[in-house]
Amino acid sequence: MKVSLNWIKEFVDLPTDLSIQQLAYDLTMRTVEVEGFEDLGASLDKIVVAKIESVEPHPQADRLRVVKVDAGEDELCQVVCGGSNLEVGQMVVLAKPGSYVRWHGEGEPVEIKASKLRGVPSAGMICASAEIGMEELFPAKEEAEIVDLAGYDATPGQPVSKLVGRDDIIFEIDNKSITNRPDLWGHYGIARELAAIYDLPLKPLPEFKEQLPAGISVEIEDDSRCARYAALSIEGIVNKPSPIWMRERLASLDVRPINLMVDITNYVMLCVGEPTHAFDAAHVEGGIVVRRAEAGEKLTLLNDEVVELCDSDLLIADKVKALALAGVMGGKLDSVLDDTQAVILEVANFDAIGTRRTATRLGVRTESSSRFEKALDTQRVDQALGMTVALLKELMPEARFTGFTDVIKKETQALLVPVGKDYLEKRLGSTLEVDEVQALLGRLGFEVTFADGVFTCHVPSWRATGDVSLPADILEEVARIRGYESFEFKPPVVALEKALHQPRVNMSQAIARVLSERLGMQEIFTYPWVEDRYLEAAGIETEGLLKLATPPSPEQAHLRPSLVPGLIDAVQLNQHHFETFKVFEQGVVFHGLHDQRNYLAFALAGEDAEKLLLEAKGVLQGLPRLVQCEPFDFVSDKVPGWAEPGLCLNLRNKDGVFGVMGALSVRAKRLAAIKRLNVVIVELNMDALVPLPSRDNVYQALPVYPLVAKDLSVILDDQVTWARVEALVRPMVRDLAYLTEFRGGNVPEGKRSLSFRVWLGSNEGTMTAVDIDKRMVAITRRLEKELGGTVPDGK
Amino acid sequence: MLEKLETLRHEAEADLAGITDMEALQKVKHDWLSKNGKLTDILKAIPTLPAEQRRPFGIGANEIKTMLTEKLASLEEVFIDQAGSGIKLDLTIPGFDITQGGLHPTRQMRDDLNQAFMSLGFEIYHGAHISTEQTAFDNLNFKPDHPARETMDTYWIAGTEDKSADERYCLRPHLTGASVDYLKEHGAPARFVYPGMVYRNESTDPGHERAFYQYEALIVEKDFSFSSGRLLIDTILERVFGKPIETRMRAGFFPFVEPGFEIDMRCQVCGGKGCGVCKYVGWIEIMPGGVPHPNVLLAAGLDPMEWSGFYINIGLDRLVMMRYGIDDVRLFHSADLRFLGQFK
Repeated sequence: MKVSLNWIKEFVDLPTDLSIQQLAYDLTMRTVEVEGFEDLGASLDKIVVAKIESVEPHPQADRLRVVKVDAGEDELCQVVCGGSNLEVGQMVVLAKPGSYVRWHGEGEPVEIKASKLRGVPSAGMICASAEIGMEELFPAKEEAEIVDLAGYDATPGQPVSKLVGRDDIIFEIDNKSITNRPDLWGHYGIARELAAIYDLPLKPLPEFKEQLPAGISVEIEDDSRCARYAALSIEGIVNKPSPIWMRERLASLDVRPINLMVDITNYVMLCVGEPTHAFDAAHVEGGIVVRRAEAGEKLTLLNDEVVELCDSDLLIADKVKALALAGVMGGKLDSVLDDTQAVILEVANFDAIGTRRTATRLGVRTESSSRFEKALDTQRVDQALGMTVALLKELMPEARFTGFTDVIKKETQALLVPVGKDYLEKRLGSTLEVDEVQALLGRLGFEVTFADGVFTCHVPSWRATGDVSLPADILEEVARIRGYESFEFKPPVVALEKALHQPRVNMSQAIARVLSERLGMQEIFTYPWVEDRYLEAAGIETEGLLKLATPPSPEQAHLRPSLVPGLIDAVQLNQHHFETFKVFEQGVVFHGLHDQRNYLAFALAGEDAEKLLLEAKGVLQGLPRLVQCEPFDFVSDKVPGWAEPGLCLNLRNKDGVFGVMGALSVRAKRLAAIKRLNVVIVELNMDALVPLPSRDNVYQALPVYPLVAKDLSVILDDQVTWARVEALVRPMVRDLAYLTEFRGGNVPEGKRSLSFRVWLGSNEGTMTAVDIDKRMVAITRRLEKELGGTVPDGK
Repeated sequence: MLEKLETLRHEAEADLAGITDMEALQKVKHDWLSKNGKLTDILKAIPTLPAEQRRPFGIGANEIKTMLTEKLASLEEVFIDQAGSGIKLDLTIPGFDITQGGLHPTRQMRDDLNQAFMSLGFEIYHGAHISTEQTAFDNLNFKPDHPARETMDTYWIAGTEDKSADERYCLRPHLTGASVDYLKEHGAPARFVYPGMVYRNESTDPGHERAFYQYEALIVEKDFSFSSGRLLIDTILERVFGKPIETRMRAGFFPFVEPGFEIDMRCQVCGGKGCGVCKYVGWIEIMPGGVPHPNVLLAAGLDPMEWSGFYINIGLDRLVMMRYGIDDVRLFHSADLRFLGQFK
């Protein structure tokens, strides 16, 4: 919202030494955010009124004249000018050297310098309206026409900014910061705040004191939506433009001047924050009816838009037809036109919720609706009436007030809020004087009495529509006007209690650190909604999944029950940039409205699927130790829809299966458009991991006598798993490690050679070659006997 | 004969002195100590000597042999050490790429903040991502049709969108509703932080996302003065920027708090003098905060006349963007490793 400083000054005499910056700062700190300000007068610096004393032909140019003007200085000033309408005695606009104008009203402003034009000295320029940004105020009939100030009370040397009222500072206020303050949507409200901040008197608004006969009939059918409706009948309307100062002020606040009657309604709204509306009386038949629209009823708005209404929209109608969309926009039919002679001026109070609903639904947000939807008080109707009448009397003396109807269904109630002095002091962390609080709130319009340690605060009507109702609200008023910066920082008192222990939080963080810092994985965040095609690639049925009512896009409606679709998406995306990569995500997945789980998933992408599978398995094997959680086993249980059967293992702990690792199937890769890469995915439910309260491993004594390492290869049927070999050999040795497998060569078809290393040792002494041989032979014999193996170089 | 030994000794010393490299060393070794070496010949000749000469001659010859053997061995070590490994490498060649992972930049910031708050005795809280209208709005001073509801366009869950209150489910549009749940569960006094993703049904652009990360911190204490709330603000900013940051609290409106503040920090680009980044005001708006609104405390079952506190809510994504100069918030959810890989 834009705020004119000159207008504010009409209501409060601001300190003369107050800088614009300080005012913006104070308003920002205490009331609303000032986003910036613009000095309108700055662009008209050194541009003054001048009177033409003589006009002579230019000796070198037919279309130029040599003009002498009186610019209020000791000597006349000579200017060369090409104006088509120059006359002696004319009052014109002179841009003196050092000022800036726009040539022909276009481009960046250019500095005026004293120079010679075709050999004749010229100390400035007589301006056309476009050259000084005043096309609207002084419309030119042709380009060479200069501004003629005839009819204005202008004196030579007077700054033009002053003459037209463009010596103003316009503040830009952040609308978001006043959504809760209906009183600040007009200049008078802002003036009241500044008066309170600087402890200055606020000048009263003109009162509405007309004694008038009853006017047009007004019927409010829905009083929940319209608390008050005042209709002032005005005759003798003259269609004329507003005076320069009003047009200038409206234009500087981004409201287009139209004609005096309409401009006054806008001016009043910008002043007191109450939207009003003038109906052409000739178009109102029988009386005003405030009623709900009928479903499907149509109305042509002022902006020619035809809207279809529903039964929750509120209409201003007459006995016959709909006229306007209450509180939002006038209708095409009733608007004030050139031939309008009498108007019905509506000054009413419409409810916030209904107005907002209608405006939102129809997409018609206006200055009016944005004010009503903040919840205005009914008393403000009086302010708007007083102001309108005063303006009309001054600017349109021909106008006659012929009737007045005021239907009040429900007045905004005065509110009493009791607040303990003790409460204020504790919360503010500062002692308060009773007088100080009373004075401070008094400046904002609160009447405050004090008894028995309690302030009783009478909330003024303009703050009583929802803004202020609680002790905390009063606290805020006191604190902000006093200034938040005036309260000292007090460190909170800390009670030492037992230390926090959050093992699950720590474990989840440890997992992320291990995966990223030790195992080279990059963490990703993906959306909780997943694309259908990745759900399909992951083999997940969409039936039964949670769905968004209005999803980001129709194919992204489902909430993920698994992190796998998101990972597949990520792999698909990154395959174009990397040949090998590892990503992981920790995130929530949804298995029902009340079943949210914290999952961990990672994907390894690269060339060699077998290597990736074993790497993934290695990560999982190491995880319990690295992140301090209870161990788990690998089992073969359920194969998820994305994994290749046979290349998939499940994770199980004492509570059951809680995770899976596997190679992404050929089908899944095809559906996800993953081309070259092999992908191994692990997904597990982190909620099922049990964090250990502390590290639980126990120290093992180092061997007294050195261990001996021996490697062994055994040829076995393909069906014999490493797990069986391990189960057989482990009890016979101190330690055992898998080395490699080999097929082909001397190894017969259907068999493979498994190599592993064993560590042998004895508690009695260093083993001899004979001891070692004996033990190796024993191992070999059992491999042959129990697993049908052959050991090529075995004895 | 003994003179001959003397001559030999001189000869041997001269040969040793003449050794300059391994090759020469090997030659001397060969000349003297091999099967047909000079010394070997001499030693072989001992039995042919007269008996009384054998002993002194043998001792003398062995002395020469010992001297030669020791000197040659020590010289050999010197030459071996000098020769080094023989490996030649162009050390301007880049080192191997170590496969490095990384944490998401937003998570890094979150973990930094968590650590700072944990050191102050704050608990880390994580609540449900699916919430209800009751929890997200009704409980929190958001009347139906409150204009602020519009600023939080919500993802309602299909099938519940036409219901109301605790039967109307949504992806949480903010964290505060669940803060109330925490208070209900744990009571007061309380101090905790609540980081997490929130979801809004908005159109996206470089400055707007549908899923973004918020960080909420809340203290609830008896008669807590709002100026103590600075603790939260200062903790966050010092952690993020690595030094104390000047802040100011000014009047602001936020439905969960009363009084409510906008919290600004000194522009770190110009130091407060005014620049394009801070729009020439010297301050940058970073978060809303304030005292929990009485209705919020009531929703948590706490008496607002007894309990007070301080609350802040900051957009982590924005802080991360400021930290690294990132100009498009959508990159955070892109899963693009070319982007994420920059924050190791």
